[in-house]
Amino acid sequence: MNPRRVRAVAKRIAEQFRRDRRSLGLLIGAPILVMSLVGALWGSSTAQVSRIVVATDRAPAPQLVAALRRSPALAVTETTVDEAMRRLRDATVDAVISTRVGFVSTEIVVVMEGSDPFRSGTTLQSIQRAVLAAVSVPPIPGAPPAGPPPVVVEYLHGGPDHTLLDLLAPLLIGVFAFFFTFLLSAVSFLRERTSGTLERLMATPLRRAELVVGYLAGFSVFALIQAVVIIAFTVLVLNVKYSGSLATIFLIEAMLVIVSVSLGLFISAFARTELQAVQFIPVVLVPQIFLSGLLVPVDQLPDVLRPFAAIMPLTYSNEALRGVMVRGLEIGDPVIVRDLLVLAAFGVVTIAGAIASIRREVA
Amino acid sequence: MSAVEGSAAGSGAAALVATDVTKRFGSVEALRGLSVTVREGEIYGLLGPNGSGKTTFIRCVAGLVRPDAGSLALWGGEPREAVAAGRVGYMTQAAALYVELSVEENLGFFAALEGVDGVRQRIEEVLRTVDLLDRRRSVVGTLSGGMRQRVSLAAALLHDPRLLLLDEPTVGVDPTLRRDFWDHFRGLATRGVTILVSSHVMDEAGRCDRLGLIRDGRVLAEGSAKELVARAGTADLESAFLTLSEGATA
Repeated sequence: MNPRRVRAVAKRIAEQFRRDRRSLGLLIGAPILVMSLVGALWGSSTAQVSRIVVATDRAPAPQLVAALRRSPALAVTETTVDEAMRRLRDATVDAVISTRVGFVSTEIVVVMEGSDPFRSGTTLQSIQRAVLAAVSVPPIPGAPPAGPPPVVVEYLHGGPDHTLLDLLAPLLIGVFAFFFTFLLSAVSFLRERTSGTLERLMATPLRRAELVVGYLAGFSVFALIQAVVIIAFTVLVLNVKYSGSLATIFLIEAMLVIVSVSLGLFISAFARTELQAVQFIPVVLVPQIFLSGLLVPVDQLPDVLRPFAAIMPLTYSNEALRGVMVRGLEIGDPVIVRDLLVLAAFGVVTIAGAIASIRREVA
Repeated sequence: MSAVEGSAAGSGAAALVATDVTKRFGSVEALRGLSVTVREGEIYGLLGPNGSGKTTFIRCVAGLVRPDAGSLALWGGEPREAVAAGRVGYMTQAAALYVELSVEENLGFFAALEGVDGVRQRIEEVLRTVDLLDRRRSVVGTLSGGMRQRVSLAAALLHDPRLLLLDEPTVGVDPTLRRDFWDHFRGLATRGVTILVSSHVMDEAGRCDRLGLIRDGRVLAEGSAKELVARAGTADLESAFLTLSEGATA
């Protein structure tokens, strides 16, 4: 090994990095960005507040209700069982607490909404803590503390017969579609820009909007094929249980892909090499994985991060896919309609951005 | 205007009129008041060293770059209008093709964009012109540089444009084929097609009806090859170019 030649190679790489300021910036900046996110997400002890309803017509013991109210992690409201269950089906609350007279004693019944495994986890934990706190205070001063009352946990969605995969696979379908179509469209459009074919295309009657819509159509087909393969694989091989209609799932997928492809086309204007395009992944994709409800429910995010979640397309596709595939919502459900409309609005903005980014280069 | 060599070349109305075109990219002044008129059926050669502004001017004519000042018209209208109407064919300096696709697939794509009728037959015709019919199913990525140039020319010819923009069309093309190319260009010009071609190959420049010697974004001298040689009082076009450009910068 000749040290001079090794040094020459190393020196050349340093010189190339010096010219490629953007790569250098991302090399340093991207981890800082991701670490700041992780810090804001998990570094602070922000209370994650779960919304629970206590049934008034089948109310548990007053000291339990008091313990639930004392818990900083629980926001407690009270209403009838029927109304409470309606709210649970709408997913506007996380759990309903009531009682049921059993053979031996009166048991406490906790019905979990259940479609988000992480939310269910924190909610159930907070309820159990409150139950334990309630029994540690003896009903009559001086008497020995009573044993904990039997607690029965039921699930509206998910539950013990569902695995974590059943509840997360729907979201992963969206994440995969977004990730791959974003990356592929960014790289292939970058190639179009750098190889001279974009310039050649602009010297034909082809309009910029036609080019962008053509890209969207082409990529959407492959994204839908990808979705079919993933769904088939998760159902047939991994035995994942889904509900909801395939057509609605495809519609959500297609809307998401339109956003990701046009975002890819837009981003490609800011990269000069494929390496630089790939470096946009930590900037565009990683925050969405952290903040879009995949790992932490959006309404339980720290205050500083919630506005970011609101401007991320995956937040809406995750909610919609979970709604359809776990909660079994129909396409006409207000939640699904709203998510689709928001995704459409994202699409309009990113398509306009993609078209404008072509204008930037070619007068 | 002087008499030109060849047949009916340059007898038509003006196809391209550029007047005092300027274009600046950041600190680089690519075009500094370039004026050129090319008539229908004429082969006009832009002759100049690298970086003289030839490609920038051709990109302006193709509607890809908007001049900062001056005017540029194709048949009296905006370049972009002529491009949208399918009247312009553009062969870029480096072959702009999809390397993953076959020759036929590339041409089929460009034919669709230009709205060509009878695509199959037309692809066959242009491939015969560039002598690549037997490679029609080859993937472009497997072709040599010269072959890619030929596919690129075929793509520019597909829709039978009225104005052909050729940016150094014969780079990497062997002498025999280069001669065939030029025979074909002459044939097109005879049929009334206007050709704007850039080159720094002198023997090729000699085959143009008129030449514009370009340097630093300006036309230094204009005329047929014979006229330019006579004006410079030199033995050949290459020396004429050097003499005329030195005279202009002195």
